[in-house]
Amino acid sequence: MGMGSNKGSGRVTMSEINVTPMVDVMLVLLIIFMVTAPLIQQGVKVNLPEARAAAVEASDKKLVLSIDAQRRVYLGEAEVLMAELEKKLATNAKAQADKELYLHADRDVPYGVVVDVMAAAQRAGITNVGMITDPSAGGRASASSKGKKEARR
Amino acid sequence: MKALLASLVLLLPLAALAQAPVIQISGATFQPLPLALSTPLTQGGEVKSSAAAVDDALLFDLRASGLFQVLDRASFLADAKEGMTAGSINFARWADVGAEALVKYTLTREGDALKAEARVFNVGNGREEFKTAQSGPTAQPSQLAHKVADAIYRHYTREPSPFLAPITYVRKSGSNRDVWVADWDGRNARQVTQGGINLLPALGPDDQLGYTSYQQGKPDLYVRKPGGDTIRLKTNDGQMATGIAFSPDGKRVAYALAEDESAQIWVANANGEGARQLTDTRFGINTSPAWSPDGKRIAFVSNRGGSPQVYVMNADGSGVRRLTFQGNYNQTPNWSPRGDLIAFTARDERNAFDLFTVHVDTGKVTRLTQDQGNNEEPSFSPNGRLVLFTSTRNGPSQLFVMTAEGNNHLALPGQDKASITTPDWGR
Repeated sequence: MGMGSNKGSGRVTMSEINVTPMVDVMLVLLIIFMVTAPLIQQGVKVNLPEARAAAVEASDKKLVLSIDAQRRVYLGEAEVLMAELEKKLATNAKAQADKELYLHADRDVPYGVVVDVMAAAQRAGITNVGMITDPSAGGRASASSKGKKEARR
Repeated sequence: MKALLASLVLLLPLAALAQAPVIQISGATFQPLPLALSTPLTQGGEVKSSAAAVDDALLFDLRASGLFQVLDRASFLADAKEGMTAGSINFARWADVGAEALVKYTLTREGDALKAEARVFNVGNGREEFKTAQSGPTAQPSQLAHKVADAIYRHYTREPSPFLAPITYVRKSGSNRDVWVADWDGRNARQVTQGGINLLPALGPDDQLGYTSYQQGKPDLYVRKPGGDTIRLKTNDGQMATGIAFSPDGKRVAYALAEDESAQIWVANANGEGARQLTDTRFGINTSPAWSPDGKRIAFVSNRGGSPQVYVMNADGSGVRRLTFQGNYNQTPNWSPRGDLIAFTARDERNAFDLFTVHVDTGKVTRLTQDQGNNEEPSFSPNGRLVLFTSTRNGPSQLFVMTAEGNNHLALPGQDKASITTPDWGR
């Protein structure tokens, strides 16, 4: 019955949203690690999203990419312009050796910004992006927990 | 005095223990050390132009060494104004780009001298490991770079670097082929011969330079002494002498002498006197002598078995032994200063020339190049860690360097399109 609508050589118009690019990004980021925040000490203050999930042991110091509430991006402690992020990651020997990055994004950062950063990481050849979340108040998505994570160094 | 000597002798093993190399080059597990070389801090505007040249040469030396994974500066995260002392360096930012070692250096100028102070830091523990101060002529900034690179190399390996020894080669220009001498990386090149056909140059100890020249219509051997005087080694009419090689102590020379239909290996004193024939095959060719580092043996090429192969004999001509059995065309042997390997050129079944090493004792052959044009004329660095060779992979025959294991191929910088052949690395 699908044939019925496909008359002659005319093309069929796709009416669905094209999700392929999004799926591409997400497939590449399939392996997501949940890491307890205190394992990785960083200088950038970020309100983490809260989630109840098993912590992954971080054996050695991993490269952490942070996005603060003002949408500023940091590699480790160093601020990096969004326009330079892909190049910084593509030339980073540590990121290229591990093909791995931990994302430490403020809960107030819009999803689109996070996806932009992930896409830059993907273009730079990084296949695994781990999300750093705060497990302490996991699941209680309440406004009251906001702000108390400011204590991080 | 005696007590002082005795205490020195007692202390020596301790010093040796404390001086264990940071990088162990040998072994299958060797991994290059990730090293960040920060851009030089300069003092005074007139240093800026020299600084670029020093930096360029230093980066090349460290890259070519095969010891380091020199990190891409585009990845750096550190503040450009970061200081030179451990206290002022944010090591976390260097760790975040993957650096395990950090080299920082400053350049200053005093009159005609260019001065560099370099500090090497361990990024993991944030400590300064080593520092060095070097100076060189402002006119040749790359020579200062080689001194700094040498100090860094020695710090990590406790052995001399290959960066201070000169190289020689033949450069083709129109119908002329001239001998040139240059720094190890091809910079500061000086032309030695002026026109005509000059071939097969070799560097010996005490800045001796030997080469083959057709100045008198047939190939003869010439030796240029350090002062610039050049002597011609005497041969009889009709004898063609080619391919001089200095013994490691510089007192003797080996070469091939051709007459009629055969060529034989001869050895003479460095001034050409006391010549003695080592090989004696009625027909056929014996050529390309190369000394072992202890001066007791000579490798050479002979076609006595039907095709050119690498042979080894004692320095008095006794004990001839065939070393290569693979392929039907092996030539240009070069004995590693470590004594264990001989590098040579082989032509394979596709008529491509490639480089191999053969282990002198076991005969084990290792391939160094493949599928990258023709690769010929290997010459070991003075410490045996690198190999200089020519390759046509980018068009004309040019100088390249790689590790003795065949890794990390790099073209020497600044080569024009002239064809360059038969390099020899001084000791």
